[in-house]
Amino acid sequence: MTVPVTAAIEVRDLHKYFGDNEVLKGIDFEVAEGHTVCVIGPSGSGKSTLLRCVNLLEAPTSGTIMVEGIDVTDPETDVDAVRSRIGMVFQSFNLFPHLNVLGNLTLAQRRVRKRSKDEAEEIARKNLDRVGLADKIDAFPAHLSGGQQQRVAIARALSMDPDMMLFDEPTSALDPELVGDVLAVMRELAHEGMTMMVVTHEMGFAREAGDKLVFMDGGVIVEEGDPTEVLANPQHQRTQDFLSKVL
Amino acid sequence: MKRSTRTKINRGILYAILLVALGLVASLADWPAIKENFLDVDVLETLWPEIVTVAAKNTIVYTIIAFAGGLVIALFLALMKLSPIAPYRWIATSYIEFFRGLPALVVIIGFGFAVPIAFGWRPPGGAIGAGIIALIVVSGAYMAETIRAGIQAVPKGQSEAARSLGMSSSWTTVSVVLPQAFRIVIPPLTNEFVILIKDTSLLFVLGVAASERELTTFSRDAVTTNQDSSPLLAAAVLYLIITLPLTRLVARLERRTQRAR
Repeated sequence: MTVPVTAAIEVRDLHKYFGDNEVLKGIDFEVAEGHTVCVIGPSGSGKSTLLRCVNLLEAPTSGTIMVEGIDVTDPETDVDAVRSRIGMVFQSFNLFPHLNVLGNLTLAQRRVRKRSKDEAEEIARKNLDRVGLADKIDAFPAHLSGGQQQRVAIARALSMDPDMMLFDEPTSALDPELVGDVLAVMRELAHEGMTMMVVTHEMGFAREAGDKLVFMDGGVIVEEGDPTEVLANPQHQRTQDFLSKVL
Repeated sequence: MKRSTRTKINRGILYAILLVALGLVASLADWPAIKENFLDVDVLETLWPEIVTVAAKNTIVYTIIAFAGGLVIALFLALMKLSPIAPYRWIATSYIEFFRGLPALVVIIGFGFAVPIAFGWRPPGGAIGAGIIALIVVSGAYMAETIRAGIQAVPKGQSEAARSLGMSSSWTTVSVVLPQAFRIVIPPLTNEFVILIKDTSLLFVLGVAASERELTTFSRDAVTTNQDSSPLLAAAVLYLIITLPLTRLVARLERRTQRAR
């Protein structure tokens, strides 16, 4: 296995408490540039919290998080600037319901990237085309299916030209028949070389598109490695137990 | 007996009771007295057209000014109440609790008489200006709670999505949270508007110039002048003409928001 040149995301000794409850108990974790890392584990294992710490939607209690060499936990860091380079996709889509698809895709481009209306619209069209929803540009989120909403959410994140993407259980809220379209878009992104961190229950996606698979339980990383290896031949009892239930 | 027949008989009995009650009221009512005291055409004719062009117009104008001013104060108070900085929250809470806990009439008298006398303050617009300021101050306190609730009703994922795109907290508030919050609070704010229409009647305690009178002051003066209560009924009808469409609108808006969820 080749040694990655740079780590896009590098987490060291990360601890996170919610009140007295320690959710992350010293996490060391990295995502190499251009790689797709999938994080699996039972609910309550801390995998979503870890993902949300990377762009500081949750503030870490202690530890460091480096994104492209910048320490995001440093109070001097411009968090908004870092976030604008990290696309995030949520389980519940979180499209802005008061704006149509075009408005969803152009709002942050204009406010944060300071792009002109025409430029923002052109980029929005390009990314909608990428997720196969060019014809929905004038629709409002409420009129789209869950799968379409999630693809619009991906296009919204891509319109900021992010260096990496975080996916927080992107298909968990979808009806089974709608999962495929979203995974197809994500698979394509992975093949194009986007750096991706994906919290998911989709083992098939992890096996095909993932460069690394991380299994978390009880706030620690139990096991990590090549996805095919981990899925076929898990080393730890807890990983074996979990996989025997989900596979 | 068939169930449908029984239902029909029950209905029939209920209608019969209603008719008897109505007949009783109609026969007991002193129609000549009602006609003379509340429907005196000669008195009603003297009110026209000022009751609409001055009194009703002033009621609406005062309501709109007080509502607009109250809305601005309410928005600031709501944002203060949700501020991470504790003293802002304390100030907003004290203001809201203070003015919601007082009768509006006390605040109107305070701004109309007490404050001007105590500080030698000449309110802009005279006594009526002071009264409207009092209404702004009071309605701001009520609407602040409504707007705060509306802001908090916007799902947390909305601001998280905006922040994750790199938007600052103020841009997030302005372009993502507030537009959605305002949609949520339109029905309750319309309700506040209706309450405010009725509260402008409290301005009658101020004693204002003829051209500044709103509906209640106007009709009360006309009652005194004519020694007849017909102007009161005329004012009541005009209030209903203004408020009823608005309360119907609120009901419709509420149905629409419920459907949208």
